[in-house]
Amino acid sequence: MTLDSKIPAGRLEDKWTSYQAKSHLINPANKKKLNILVVGSGLAGAGAAATLAELGYEVQCFCYQDSARRAHSVAAQGGINAAKNYQHDGDSVWRMFYDTLKGGDFRSREANTYRLAELSAPLIDHFVQQGVPFAREYGGVLANRSFGGVQVQRTFYARGQTGQQLLLAAYSQLSKMIRAKKVEMLARHEVLDIVVIKGKAKGVIARDLATGEIKRFAADAVVLATGGYSRVFRLSTLAIGCNGSAIWKAHKRGAYFAAPSFTQIHPTALPQTSESQSKLTLMSESLRNDGRIWVPKKEDDNRQAKDIPEEERDYYLERRYPSFGNLAPRDIASRAAKERIDAGYGVGQLKNAVYLDFKHAIKKLGKDVIQDKYGNLFSMYEKITGINAYEEPMKISPAAHFSMGGLWVDYELMTSIPGLYAIGECNYSDHGANRLGANSLLQTSIDGYFILPNTINNYLEGELKETRPDVNHPEFVKVEDEVKSQIGKILAINGHRTTDDFHRELGKVMWQECAMSRNKKGLQKAILQIKEIKDAFWKEVKVTGYDNEMNPELEKALRLADFIELAILMCTDALERNESCGAHFREEYQTEDGEAMRNDEDYKYVSVWEYDAGDFKLHKEVLEFEYVQPTVRSYK
Amino acid sequence: MFYRKNIIAVTGMFLCVFLIVHLSANAILLFPETTARTLYNSYSTTLRESIVIKIVAYLLYLSIIFHVVYAAIVTYKNRRSKKDKYIMNHKHETSSWASQNMGLLGVLILIFIVVHLVNFWARVKLGIGEKVGLDAYGNIDVYEVTYSLFHNIYYVLFYSVLMIPLGFHLHHGLQSAFKTLGFYHKKGLAVLAKISLIYAIIMSIGFAIIPVIVYFK
Amino acid sequence: MKITFKIWRQEGANSEGSLKTYDIDGLTEDMSFLEALDHLNERLVLKGEKVVAFDHDCREGICGQCGVFINGRAHGPHDHMTTCQLHMRSFKDGDIIVVEPYRAGAFPVIKDLVVDRTAFDRIIEQGAYITAKTGTAAEANAILIPKEVADSSMDVAACIGCGACVATCKNASAALFTSAKINHLNKLPQGHPEAHKRVLDMTNQMAIENFGSCTFTAACEVECPAGISISSIAEMNARYIKAKLFE
Repeated sequence: MTLDSKIPAGRLEDKWTSYQAKSHLINPANKKKLNILVVGSGLAGAGAAATLAELGYEVQCFCYQDSARRAHSVAAQGGINAAKNYQHDGDSVWRMFYDTLKGGDFRSREANTYRLAELSAPLIDHFVQQGVPFAREYGGVLANRSFGGVQVQRTFYARGQTGQQLLLAAYSQLSKMIRAKKVEMLARHEVLDIVVIKGKAKGVIARDLATGEIKRFAADAVVLATGGYSRVFRLSTLAIGCNGSAIWKAHKRGAYFAAPSFTQIHPTALPQTSESQSKLTLMSESLRNDGRIWVPKKEDDNRQAKDIPEEERDYYLERRYPSFGNLAPRDIASRAAKERIDAGYGVGQLKNAVYLDFKHAIKKLGKDVIQDKYGNLFSMYEKITGINAYEEPMKISPAAHFSMGGLWVDYELMTSIPGLYAIGECNYSDHGANRLGANSLLQTSIDGYFILPNTINNYLEGELKETRPDVNHPEFVKVEDEVKSQIGKILAINGHRTTDDFHRELGKVMWQECAMSRNKKGLQKAILQIKEIKDAFWKEVKVTGYDNEMNPELEKALRLADFIELAILMCTDALERNESCGAHFREEYQTEDGEAMRNDEDYKYVSVWEYDAGDFKLHKEVLEFEYVQPTVRSYK
Repeated sequence: MFYRKNIIAVTGMFLCVFLIVHLSANAILLFPETTARTLYNSYSTTLRESIVIKIVAYLLYLSIIFHVVYAAIVTYKNRRSKKDKYIMNHKHETSSWASQNMGLLGVLILIFIVVHLVNFWARVKLGIGEKVGLDAYGNIDVYEVTYSLFHNIYYVLFYSVLMIPLGFHLHHGLQSAFKTLGFYHKKGLAVLAKISLIYAIIMSIGFAIIPVIVYFK
Repeated sequence: MKITFKIWRQEGANSEGSLKTYDIDGLTEDMSFLEALDHLNERLVLKGEKVVAFDHDCREGICGQCGVFINGRAHGPHDHMTTCQLHMRSFKDGDIIVVEPYRAGAFPVIKDLVVDRTAFDRIIEQGAYITAKTGTAAEANAILIPKEVADSSMDVAACIGCGACVATCKNASAALFTSAKINHLNKLPQGHPEAHKRVLDMTNQMAIENFGSCTFTAACEVECPAGISISSIAEMNARYIKAKLFE
């Protein structure tokens, strides 16, 4: 199969408009006959499910949580970008497009990235209409703040809970359509496999997590909106239940996986404090607007932060990147922190953190202003650590955060399996090798609300003449049997190690070799280690309870089984890419002062992996830059 | 579910106003005996003969009945909403004792009202029990009824001690009634909480202290 | 540190449940409460026993999925905190911790500590939205909203839907939850066209779901992780009366 990205011809500015003008439409009476499954209820999933239902399709929406409102979009704190230029600071769709493309280190498609910027402004209009209580100025207009990697203020926010407010808006629209009986919501249902019939996605197999029942769902199209897979590192900023199972199963059934190793490590999470830790809590990047990051100039300095005088502090981001300073993009800020920590300048109990200090901001702006801006983040920090950050600096540390990689999709957001779409974080589309802060809520929302509802018709129009397969179709029976046999196999092992134990082991290997910096030797070793973990898992894991009941331990084990396989692909991908770009930093390819060295000559493509009976086959989608010439990405 | 709470609130507020009037009348008992007897008896005669007061009295009876009946319904329904109880529940850390026990307090007050009505209303208005005489001015001698009742130590204790639950009930009830009826101004609510407390203290101590004073008179 | 957990175990919705005692060692003060439960579950797996089922997801206090009754308090001993934000440093070595599922007629137990809170979703379905289709919005700054209004709307919009308010309420009333959502939308100009219908429909659903009525014990505002005040309930009452009068 060749990779057709289906980018419309024409000027960059006109591509989306001309695409819409030419795509097939379906009349309302026919839409009613079409059934779409949406897997996931985050901003992408809920937005898509609600909008598709408004258009007249029959929709079934799945989420593994007890309610659609829990999806992890809820946890995004800082904000959402839009090229509104409300601040009159020179912003424009073009500039936002350029910032995003550059932020992603020129590893995404121009057309996709431009569309992201183009649709950002209407998205803010949309959310305001839906009742999102965005921050306002006294005059009643919307307020903005700045975020990493850009020099304009284009971020809209609702205190430190922007993701929550946007998700609740999407959830409320979803609820509206549930009431209208156009969406059937299947909460506590986890999709465990995709059913592909005659090369087209025609349904899913899901497990009812409350009863353990395995169910079949047939449809005319399947939309995956399952979010990121950074829980592969175990310690991440993601929710405990976030997983890669649906996309992994889709991959194994023929969907190509793009740039799996591109993982954003967020610079401002709370540091790990113990072995048994289950997650790393994120502190919003917006804190870097007013907080200054530093470490002591002296190695292994055991003094309290307040006892270290100004001249003995190293504000290393301001030192290394004077024009962006503390607002350097995430990959750069994370690597700079890692560099200092590895060199022995880390602070905190385990010497694994750096300081984020508000002393100067409080002095300059007053405690009230800081409280108004970040009050909930400060109180969250105090709840978790017991430390009052108005009095002493926060201790922060990098943590696995966002998956730029994901299922390969074309301009229509369709994967390489016809009828199977991937939207939101689970696809690889607009962010390239690194995502800019506050672009995640944007991309996931736009995919769900604006793009998919305008592209899916192009495929479904062709499906109108076909009959939807029955759930008793042999392929459904076969896939369900496979799901059941995997569950049976896991339960039957009855080994001597817990799922968490394996997950910790996997996480350590991945964090060591496939996170902020990677090298050939390490990655080769990691692949072998993960294969060993896989073998051991299938021989030694112990899962108690039964398949026909609520069984959280079984859920965990099933997710981990897929994570282990995904981890191998991630390392394979990182090993193949002999350059440093964005979040992918290969130690062999760096400048003398430690900056990334991109190699456009050999690697100006997206690595697209095909599953090949346990192995992976590489396809290359070469990136054409017609409008912007890739430059060295400098934030100095 | 809202209309029941609204009825409880409106009737409760009406009863609160009534209590102020009632306590002011009781204060007459604090005057020297002859003045008190004359004033008290003529006051109660006036009340009995006024048409307006008659209407108010019926409103009062209705208020008590509605307040009690709807509170009983709401309590029953609320209990049905929470059938399973916690094995360990530190509710005192999150809310006042009174707010958790308005039903119990209400029952105590209801018992009080019944006894109170038997003591006065039944004798004076219905003529049940020992006959009540007339005073020098020809008014029914309600003062004598009160005076003799409050020279029985058991009644004094009953009348005084039961003002404690009344106080608690009023403290929580008054501010809740306002909130139930939609008073939500945040600073206003803080003021309201204080007013409710002061009101409850004045009512409970005021009502409780009079029998004691009369006893020692 | 060493802790004795007394945890409610219940096989399924229709089975009888009871408290089971687990002595567990090797906990540290830095562990979150849920990590302590993870720790316990790992020990149970190795012993061949079924794990304790409990709801949780984001573990940073925003998704609202976690929530159990810990030592007689919703989300544990602190005010305004979720279960996942509770850390073991709030307990002493050797403590006994009693863990029960949320109790309310509208929140039936599914298993162990997991309860069914879909009644909340059904309340939301009755009008916690603006009826406007995707693609019909006007320019965002065409609607001016004073900062005070946006802020006070945000105060209540912050509700995470955890159900602690219902769990702690002696009447199992969902008034704080419902009021937060009604007030969030009704305060904003976008919410005005459907304001009356919203408050009537949502409060009606609240009654249908067998939630009790609010008697202002105020326990909910103490437990609410988002710090929503009971004045929100009073505000809902005002909106209800207004809707009834002017509908």
